Amino acid sequence: MAECHPVAFRWVMKAKLKGAKIIHADPRFTRTTAMADVYAPLRAGSDIAFLGGLIRYVLHDERWKSDSFFQDYLVNYTNASTLVDPGFQDTEDLDGEFSGLMDYTGGKPEWPLNGFIGEYERASWGYQREGTAPGKPASGDTTTAFDALIRGLSQSPVRKDPTLEDPRCVFQIVKRHFDRYTPAMVADVTGCAVDTFVKVAQTVLSNSGRDRTTAWAYAVGWTQHTYGPQMIGCCALLQLLLGNIGRPGGGVIALRGHVSIQGSTDIPTLYDNIHGYMVAPSTLKSHATLRDYLKAEAKPTGAWSDMPKFMVSYLKSMYGDAATAANDFGYGWHPRIAGDHSHLPMFVAMAEGRVKGMICVGQNPATSVNASLERTGLRKLEWLVVKDNFLTETATYWNRAPEIANGSIAPADIATEVFFFPSAQVAETEGSFTNTQRLLQWHFKAAQPPADCRSDLWFTYQLGVRLKRLYAGSTETRDEGFQRLTWNFDPDDPATAVVGEPDPRKLLREINGYHSASPLRHLEAASELRDDGSTTCASWIYCGVFPAPDRNLAARKTPDQKGVTGAHLEWGWAWPANRRVLYNRASADLQGKPWSERKRWVWWDGGKWAGHDVPDFPRHKSPDAPADPRASGTDALSGSSPFTLKADGVGWLFVPEGLVDGPLPTHYEPAESPVRNPLYARQTSPVLKYWKREDNLLAAPGDPRFPHVITTYRLTEHYVGGGMSRWSPWLSALQPELFIEMSPELADAHGIVNTGWVRISTPRGSIRAKALVTRRLRPFRIAGKVVHQVGMPWHWGWEGVVTGDVVNNLTALVGDPNVSIHEAKAFVCNVEKG
Amino acid sequence: MKAMPMPDTFFTASPHWGWLIVFYFFIGGIAGAAFFLSALLHLFGRAADRPVVRTGYLVALSGVIVSAILLVVDLSRPLRFWHMLIQSNTGWPMFKAWSPMSVGSWAFALFGVFTALAALGAWAEIRAPASPLRRLANGLPGKAIAVLGGSSGVFVAGYTGVMLSVTNRPLWGDSSVLGGLFLSSAASGAAAVLVLATTWRGRRDATSLEWLQRVDRGALMLKGVLLVAVVVSLGAAAQVLVGIWGVALAAVLIGGVLVPLLMRRGRWSIPERPMMVASALLVLAGGFLLRVVVIFSSESVYVMGAGVHGP
Amino acid sequence: MAEPMGFFTDTSVCIGCKACETACKAWNQLPAKEGGHPPMSGDSYDNTVRLSGEDWRHVKFIEQFSEDRSAGRWLMMSDVCKHCVNAPCLEVCPTGAIIRTEFDTVVIQTDACNGCRLCITACPFGVIDVNPVSKTAEKCTLCYDRLQVGMQPACAQACPTASIQFGPIAQLKATATARLSQLQAQGEKQASLYGADDKMLGGLNSFYLLLDEPGVYGLPVDPKMPTRNLFWGSVSSVAAAVVLGVVGLFGFRERRAVDESDADA
Ligand SMILES: Nc1nc2c(c(=O)[nH]1)N[C@H]1C(S)=C(S)[C@@H](COP(=O)(O)OP(=O)(O)OC[C@H]3O[C@@H](n4cnc5c(=O)[nH]c(N)nc54)[C@H](O)[C@@H]3O)O[C@H]1N2
Ligand SMILES: Nc1nc2c(c(=O)[nH]1)N[C@H]1C(S)=C(S)[C@@H](COP(=O)(O)OP(=O)(O)OC[C@H]3O[C@@H](n4cnc5c(=O)[nH]c(N)nc54)[C@H](O)[C@@H]3O)O[C@H]1N2
Ligand code: SF4
Ligand code: SF4
Ligand code: SF4
Ligand code: SF4
Ligand code: SF4
Ligand SMILES: [Mo]
Repeated sequence: MAECHPVAFRWVMKAKLKGAKIIHADPRFTRTTAMADVYAPLRAGSDIAFLGGLIRYVLHDERWKSDSFFQDYLVNYTNASTLVDPGFQDTEDLDGEFSGLMDYTGGKPEWPLNGFIGEYERASWGYQREGTAPGKPASGDTTTAFDALIRGLSQSPVRKDPTLEDPRCVFQIVKRHFDRYTPAMVADVTGCAVDTFVKVAQTVLSNSGRDRTTAWAYAVGWTQHTYGPQMIGCCALLQLLLGNIGRPGGGVIALRGHVSIQGSTDIPTLYDNIHGYMVAPSTLKSHATLRDYLKAEAKPTGAWSDMPKFMVSYLKSMYGDAATAANDFGYGWHPRIAGDHSHLPMFVAMAEGRVKGMICVGQNPATSVNASLERTGLRKLEWLVVKDNFLTETATYWNRAPEIANGSIAPADIATEVFFFPSAQVAETEGSFTNTQRLLQWHFKAAQPPADCRSDLWFTYQLGVRLKRLYAGSTETRDEGFQRLTWNFDPDDPATAVVGEPDPRKLLREINGYHSASPLRHLEAASELRDDGSTTCASWIYCGVFPAPDRNLAARKTPDQKGVTGAHLEWGWAWPANRRVLYNRASADLQGKPWSERKRWVWWDGGKWAGHDVPDFPRHKSPDAPADPRASGTDALSGSSPFTLKADGVGWLFVPEGLVDGPLPTHYEPAESPVRNPLYARQTSPVLKYWKREDNLLAAPGDPRFPHVITTYRLTEHYVGGGMSRWSPWLSALQPELFIEMSPELADAHGIVNTGWVRISTPRGSIRAKALVTRRLRPFRIAGKVVHQVGMPWHWGWEGVVTGDVVNNLTALVGDPNVSIHEAKAFVCNVEKG
Repeated sequence: MKAMPMPDTFFTASPHWGWLIVFYFFIGGIAGAAFFLSALLHLFGRAADRPVVRTGYLVALSGVIVSAILLVVDLSRPLRFWHMLIQSNTGWPMFKAWSPMSVGSWAFALFGVFTALAALGAWAEIRAPASPLRRLANGLPGKAIAVLGGSSGVFVAGYTGVMLSVTNRPLWGDSSVLGGLFLSSAASGAAAVLVLATTWRGRRDATSLEWLQRVDRGALMLKGVLLVAVVVSLGAAAQVLVGIWGVALAAVLIGGVLVPLLMRRGRWSIPERPMMVASALLVLAGGFLLRVVVIFSSESVYVMGAGVHGP
Repeated sequence: MAEPMGFFTDTSVCIGCKACETACKAWNQLPAKEGGHPPMSGDSYDNTVRLSGEDWRHVKFIEQFSEDRSAGRWLMMSDVCKHCVNAPCLEVCPTGAIIRTEFDTVVIQTDACNGCRLCITACPFGVIDVNPVSKTAEKCTLCYDRLQVGMQPACAQACPTASIQFGPIAQLKATATARLSQLQAQGEKQASLYGADDKMLGGLNSFYLLLDEPGVYGLPVDPKMPTRNLFWGSVSSVAAAVVLGVVGLFGFRERRAVDESDADA
């Protein structure tokens, strides 16, 4: 965190000055470790074993078992008591697999690139339900068009055992599942000494409870694995057991990547989402009509029962007046996905010659995961647009890449037409950032972009304008979407701007939403959204950021007064509803009283919910309000169900839906590992994604040719592919050369000396780097044998002030099945002097 | 996990004083001391000493000119050399009594004036015997210049060592005897130069030579003693001398001090003249090497000091 | 004179991010080391290596690990000019280029300096060096230009963890003392303040909280004024001059004696 999020780490340091304990778990001793009170060194890729060990430790802890805080939270705020389908079989029963594993059958002939090696049939992972569905309500609000549809989705109530004794209840399943994650097993899998592990466990436990909370922060050290989402889920499970969710100072904190990467998932660049985390319409699912889509994706209970309102308002934003109830609000014009179109399969498809052109804005795939394969893909394009501040490696892959330099490929043989659009820099643009805590902050333009550099907003807007013009006369039905798309963000005063630059405020207004009939009446909250077309709103989660044409709340800059406890609610605007801590109803007990004075955040003041933050709960729903099984939406949840986005209102220890690789986190080895999985017969995730090609081979488990675990990471001094640092002499001088960090033990074994050259190879490629020999790395003892861990920052390429080999020539296209994140954090390699 | 204890001076940075400064220390020292010795001969010697006196003044002048060039060129902003004497932003004189370089700059400037005058007199003595200049040079004004030039000369020959001591650099700042050492070394060097110049012109000035030899012997003995004193005064900083620089310093002591002293004993079968020349050359080489060692041994610590890290 | 201003650098919360180094370069438009591509030093994460005329801040990285890693620390410290109350550099500068400002900071006037480099030899901390562009001695100005318009120094503003704290010296000293006792209470027995009292060169207006011996950080234990050697240095010179003069005068006497005995013979 200190390395990659130094400014956010400011708060960690403030906490440290107040006496907070800091724990760091990382294969390498980093700048973050330097600030930590406890350091848990562990082999890359083994964190689920570590977290699983913590879960088991907590479940066996006497204080945990007897403290009413933990038990009240567990029984009431989590699904611990819910009974799971009798057909469910755990990894305990099937030695590393869950029930329902089968061959992959999905996919479309036109897009066979989903990469699955297996698939789970997930019916058995559901809850047990009472025999009968609740009766449809006799009367109710039927003014909204999709009301009946939502009510029709309701299922019979789940079965629970509040004593947590039923062997089929979530709690008992979790307990059995993690029982093999003993401290000794943790040490064997991770390489972390037992006493260090126990110290971590005790520190976390003693800093959790009524009066204290523990927060976990993670970034790509946890996500970039074939089981990345499971890693985060495992931490969430632990945090729920410790009552650390929905409370100040708690949570599982994602430290996100690029400056507005949170914004780019909210307003998604993700292929499988549309705004506000709604699933993208898909040809693989029963999404034929709007009603089908809502039937498949909306929930009868919890906040997602409002999905018809979100979706219809979104479609109104897409197609404006053309979207009417009669034409399904233009749903039919909306593009649909046909499989996994994420980065990894996209480049496999490219390498197979199935992709014609690419627009690459602010990305540098020529140095990205399995870079030689990605460059193979680039070479097969007919055209490529690169829009960047500099001529990055992706802009010069055709004349300066290593394979060109060594003569194995001639530029003349590459048919791609490459266009380069110089980009404006951040200080030359205006707009909002959404940071990792979902906070929108407005930034202003400090300078005009030089010469013909244009903002990305300009580019995208002008592209849209031109495409609309191109398709204006088309009679093809497939072009109707383009023709109907509303697309006018021209500034009111065009003289003041760069020619053609859209007004970013108009975009934010579109995202915030307004009354369809009178666009100058902005929406003030998502609760105003309607599913009849009377409201227009691109993203329901951002609804409220721009409540009036002259009130851009993202631009607020008023901090709380010094010494006053608060959430700085007047600083920027956080989605949803300017709420800073999600699920904050959990910061109060069943009666709505704060669990402790020290940790008070949101509470029931007798008539309504109040507190330092915007309460994440129906404002006037009393804590003792019972659940109404016949109602829909949040009305179906009781006054003590803090997790209102979940259909059952509680935090999930066991995840009955949403994940495709298992309802509980399980330790698997990375796709490449020097050891056999010490926990199960199953070596790797049975459903990971892998694209088998000659240029994407994997080393077999324990392959003696590649004995060392390697991880890749970032340096504070550089920024990802280097576009924002390797062109700056000041930053370049701080870390001028590519290096590999290794322990003196490993260096000695190979005759490698500090700053000497090393050759690093994997089944995909081989590169050179200088050695940085340091005791900050250490050999691990894993499953009885010594395993060396090495690590490389991956910021270099052949362009820029400082250059170096492309580390991603070493990595493989292998990913997780939920979100297709690659596994650049744990693979195997060989090192030699040279 | 303990770092090696380091003398405080080892944490400082190098001023990048290199060969230019070594040559200045060497040449400037000889110039100053040559004037000093000539002034002594001028004031207290005989008429027979006049040729040597004149040679000394001319040597001093050449030395001053070369030194001035070396000093200016060594500045990284040479055109601002006058900032040493005049405050660039007020126009007032620049003088800091406690800064040897400041005082040294003034001394050098004055010395330059006196050497020029003395050399002019010397020139007149040979080339314009009839001119009133000659009378001035041999008269009271000449004596006054000898006194003033001699004292500023001895200052120039000695302040460089004091200036090194008044720093925080390894070796330099670790000893306060460098001034004396440099002065004695400069005196022996100047004597050697005068001996060489005299012998080169034949044996006409035997009486001056004899005196020079005596002075040289005294200066060498003083230099030997002070050299040892410097090393002893270094304390822990003497680790600078571990290795090549220690060997070089030993060479200075043996080859540049002890051997020349032994050669003066006069009981050798080698003819006196070659012996004298050889001894003078050794003294000069020793004096030069001494400055090389003092400058560059200190410089070498910079590299050591850069990575002052625990194990 | 305004209130004395300076830095308290709490190395215990320095994360070695080098934001201070870079902010200083950006504000003062200092050239990148070796055009931006010096060789990798191999000395931990430090490629700046030392303070110099183009690096007025330098973050040091000190790795301390026992062989079995049972004990291990990675110390970081952002080094800078100490703005000594009795400043050795200022003391020796022969051109008067180095001045003390109304904020009690030490500034080299680039237009007055002629590059004699004596100040480099005087600074006990190795702070100063020649800037390759101006060719004069340069070092941290404690952002004199920013201070004059009421801004804080660029480095302190950039520091994300408040390792570098800027303010009135008196206030900083109070903060530092409090932090030291907190750390010591937490068991950091080796923690100490460096230069916070007036014993060291009359006080350092940029002082430090260190977690180990000063030498570990490349700092002298007892930095001294160069003029400490002035008196005895002068005495040694004068004494040598007297000895030489005496030798010379005795030389005349001896010569006369020899001449006379020659004449006798
Ligand atoms: N200075 C700087 N800041 C950045 C970036 C940058 O490039 N430079 N990039 C931004 C982006 S895009 C992102 S995504 C974030 C990423 O932020 P981080 O995730 O913090 O970045 P990384 O350095 O890739 O990885 C973090 C750490 O994970 C460790 N690690 C590797 N494998 C494992 C493992 O299996 N388990 C555990 N526990 N740790 C492991 C590595 O040793 C490394 O120290 O940073 C953002 N901030
Ligand atoms: N081995 C390995 N590979 C990794 C990772 C890893 O940890 N290990 N991490 C992965 C992660 S988390 C990420 S996020 C990716 C990042 O990988 P990429 O996204 O491919 O790399 P970046 O360098 O971030 O590319 C951003 C580009 O945007 C340009 N840019 C900056 N500002 C603007 C702008 O305003 N407009 C435009 N048009 N361009 C701009 C920059 O100059 C830069 O070239 O790499 C992934 N790859
Ligand atoms: S680079 Fe920007 S986003 Fe990253 S830590 Fe620094 S200030 Fe924050
Ligand atoms: S630290 Fe060095 S440069 Fe700074 S004031 Fe003190 S002596 Fe001068
Ligand atoms: S280099 Fe410049 S600042 Fe330093 S002592 Fe010489 S004149 Fe003064
Ligand atoms: S105070 Fe100013 S000049 Fe000094 S280090 Fe900080 S930024 Fe640089
Ligand atoms: S900016 Fe602050 S935390 Fe970063 S290296 Fe400098 S002093 Fe340390
Ligand atoms: Mo990222």
